[in-house]
Amino acid sequence: MEGIEQLPEILRLASGYIYPNEAELHWGFLVVIYPYLTGLVAGAFILASLVKVFNVKALLPTYRLSMLTALSFLIVAPLPLLAHLGHPERSLQIFLTPQPKSAMAMFGFVYAWYLMMVLLAEIWLEYRIVLIEKGRTKKGLKKLFYKFVSLWDTDTSKKSIIFDHKAIHFITLVGIPSAFLLHGYVGFIFGAIKANPWWSSVLMPVVFLFSAIVSGIALVLILYTLTSLFKSRPIDMKCLEKLAAFLLYALLVDFSLEMLDFIHRLYESEESIEILGHMITNRLFISLIIVQMLLGTIIPLITLSILHIKKDMPVEFRRLGYLIAAVLIQMGIFSTRWNVVVGGQLFSKSLRGLTIYKVEMLGTEGLFMGILLLVLPLIILYFVAKILPMWQDDPVVDSGTK
Amino acid sequence: MPGQVKRLLIFVVIICVLFVVSRVLLVPEGFGKYGHYRATAIDTIIALPINYAGHIVCNDCHDDIAETKDASYHQGVNCESCHGPSNDHVQSLEEDEIILPSAPRDRNQCSICHAYSPAKATGFPQIDVVTHNPVKPCISCHDPHAPDPPSVIGGCIACHRGITRTKALSAHSNIECNECHTTQDEHMVNPRAFRPDKPRSRDLCGKCHAKGATSETFTKKVDMTEHGVGYLCWQCHFPHHPEAN
Ligand code: HEC
Ligand code: HEC
Ligand code: HEC
Ligand code: HEC
Ligand code: HEC
Ligand code: HEC
Ligand code: HEC
Ligand code: HEC
Repeated sequence: MEGIEQLPEILRLASGYIYPNEAELHWGFLVVIYPYLTGLVAGAFILASLVKVFNVKALLPTYRLSMLTALSFLIVAPLPLLAHLGHPERSLQIFLTPQPKSAMAMFGFVYAWYLMMVLLAEIWLEYRIVLIEKGRTKKGLKKLFYKFVSLWDTDTSKKSIIFDHKAIHFITLVGIPSAFLLHGYVGFIFGAIKANPWWSSVLMPVVFLFSAIVSGIALVLILYTLTSLFKSRPIDMKCLEKLAAFLLYALLVDFSLEMLDFIHRLYESEESIEILGHMITNRLFISLIIVQMLLGTIIPLITLSILHIKKDMPVEFRRLGYLIAAVLIQMGIFSTRWNVVVGGQLFSKSLRGLTIYKVEMLGTEGLFMGILLLVLPLIILYFVAKILPMWQDDPVVDSGTK
Repeated sequence: MPGQVKRLLIFVVIICVLFVVSRVLLVPEGFGKYGHYRATAIDTIIALPINYAGHIVCNDCHDDIAETKDASYHQGVNCESCHGPSNDHVQSLEEDEIILPSAPRDRNQCSICHAYSPAKATGFPQIDVVTHNPVKPCISCHDPHAPDPPSVIGGCIACHRGITRTKALSAHSNIECNECHTTQDEHMVNPRAFRPDKPRSRDLCGKCHAKGATSETFTKKVDMTEHGVGYLCWQCHFPHHPEAN
């Protein structure tokens, strides 16, 4: 954001006619990361809810993993925005003096609701027994810590455990619309900008939501495969197959929605179509056509479909196939976010020119900051997993569905 | 009520109480009194120094200028958009030492508004600053307070705009066209039928540039018997934009 010094350089690279205030993009790399992270949160949570609400037993091994993943990524989700805006202390103002007429200003409440009332509540209930047990057995400061996080609860009776299950079921029921809200909200912010033909679309929240589900499932699949590998735990193949199946279904829906959006735009052919076409074939060729469409959607679709139909391939091969597909999907979804956020600012509102965007290396909005924010959730997840056991078979009492 | 719900409820209540307390403590006084902002912000803004006086004040003393301007193309242009913030000028008039506002006389000032830009509304008078009567200050031809174009374009520029403007920028800028071209008056109304003559001889240039010519001493001189013999001078030099290094 050095602004004016870079202006001549940018204007040299811009093509066609752009207004002076369009040369520089205001929503950069960090704003790309933000919808990406919230998408992972919502996706991971919806995956977890499959276990509790829809009773998909095969996915049980990933239930805790997805909950903790959702939590770690949710903690980091607002950080890119804070870094982008600067003055993080002012963010508290949106709580103190809420402005209900502004969708952006309501983010704090959407976020707080989801974090406190859904994720933390559900995780607390899920781990209550574990925390009580640890509070009993540990010593010193650790004891105090576990006592505190278990809120000094001591009740481990059968009755209370049964109540936990019921409560979790209920919270997940509330949680699904909340997760939809969290990520649909992000799509809504973009979709509601009516002056921008690349963003303004009612389909936007829906497309965001399904790509979120896709990315969440893919992330859990990657994490499940990798942690099993490093901890040398056996991979539950039934679980992995189920994950991959859901990933395929979600990807199919996501792909159809995006195609629907695409065809709708083409058919509608508003006056913006020419410049958007220009943008796709020039500025966004690599990130949209190659990474998002080809590598991130079509190749994984084909891979997953083949593995879905031909069940007789060797297990190692299937595992590798799933892993590669999931990693490609992850790249694809990140590109999707990039194309939405950056793409929407590349073309001039005069519909007559395109500007350019270059990511900086250093600085609060630079590449390194972005990478840090992408790695941070994984580090948090690592520490969270130290406190809250990730696998169903290590805790004291089972917590499977009734 | 099951124990865990009680504990969670207490936790939620504590957070809600914290929220309410911090609202009471942290929301600035007067917030929301007039709208979604701090009422005292108005006082903060009132306390800011005043820079602009507004054009109505100027009319009290400079009524002559105001009158001319209000009848001109610049009627919609505020005095202070050219003269800059002038509140201290107005205030200083009650004291001994008068602070005068700046009166921007160079070409850049007018170009802020009149330089060609494709984004400007159609019909807004725009010029290409580089070619529109270059070098000379705009106010040497346009009165800033009544900026009508000073004259209907006449003379050779009406039809030979390119050559005239090229020459205006060149070392020959001060040489009249008629110095090199003899033009009948009919050419001005019936140009194709009455053509001015085009120079034919090296002597034309020699009038000023030959060794021993009577022109000013700063005019560079060449030896006509050696310099570019066998060619017309304008086979090597542009007559309307001569250059030599
Ligand atoms: C109270 C009377 C008064 C008011 C009001 C006033 N001026 Fe002046 N102005 C003067 C006087 C007196 C001078 C000095 C004339 C002189 O030195 O010849 C002057 C001089 C000027 C000059 C001449 C500067 C120069 O370089 O010669 C400008 C420009 C000017 N005023 C602009 C303004 C503008 C713009 C406003 C309105 C914001 C304004 N004045 C309001 C009295 C006033
Ligand atoms: C388009 C720009 C522009 C606007 C608008 C403008 N001025 Fe000026 N003004 C100038 C320039 C340029 C000069 C210097 C003229 C010169 O040196 O010949 C000047 C000179 C002056 C002078 C001192 C010289 C003189 O002619 O007496 C005064 C006083 C003045 N302006 C007052 C005003 C007032 C009052 C207004 C508003 C009613 C106003 N001007 C609006 C550009 C402007
Ligand atoms: C703040 C912007 C602004 C500045 C600075 C400004 N002008 Fe203007 N000028 C205008 C506007 C507005 C008009 C009226 C346009 C219209 O009538 O549509 C105008 C009209 C004119 C016209 C009349 C053109 C025509 O034939 O329609 C001339 C000549 C002119 N300005 C010259 C100047 C000169 C010389 C200066 C510098 C001393 C100057 N302007 C500074 C805004 C400005
Ligand atoms: C040598 C005298 C001269 C100078 C210096 C000069 N102009 Fe002009 N200007 C004219 C004449 C004559 C016209 C009308 C004919 C034409 O368009 O060439 C004119 C026309 C204009 C017009 C109206 C153009 C239109 O299309 O309606 C504007 C605006 C203008 N001038 C602004 C400026 C500005 C700004 C400057 C300084 C950067 C400037 N002029 C310098 C002589 C001059
Ligand atoms: C009414 C428009 C008009 C005016 C005013 C005008 N000319 Fe011309 N001039 C023309 C046209 C038309 C031609 C012929 C161009 C052609 O046929 O290629 C021409 C041609 C010429 C030629 C070249 C003759 C040739 O044989 O190629 C010269 C030199 C010339 N003009 C000089 C002048 C000078 C000096 C003035 C000012 C005193 C002037 N003109 C004013 C329209 C004009
Ligand atoms: C220093 C002398 C000189 C001055 C001053 C001068 N010209 Fe010329 N002009 C020439 C010469 C020499 C030629 C012949 C060039 C050629 O034959 O290739 C010429 C050619 C022309 C032509 C014919 C162009 C062509 O491409 O055939 C026009 C028109 C013309 N001049 C117009 C003007 C006008 C209008 C002015 C005044 C603004 C002017 N000249 C001032 C020397 C001059
Ligand atoms: C009325 C006198 C006069 C006539 C006729 C004249 N010039 Fe010049 N010329 C000047 C003056 C004055 C200068 C500017 C001073 C200087 O740089 O020598 C000049 C500059 C030049 C220069 C530029 C020298 C430099 O240092 O950049 C060249 C070349 C030139 N003239 C060539 C010609 C040619 C060719 C002709 C014939 C078509 C011609 N002049 C006719 C007066 C004249
Ligand atoms: C064959 C091409 C040619 C011809 C014909 C020619 N010149 Fe030059 N002239 C040049 C070159 C090249 C230079 C620059 C090198 C130099 O300074 O010697 C020059 C330089 C000049 C200078 C600047 C001298 C200085 O001291 O800087 C003048 C004045 C000049 N020429 C006038 C004329 C005149 C008048 C004629 C016609 C009589 C003429 N030229 C014909 C090529 C030519």
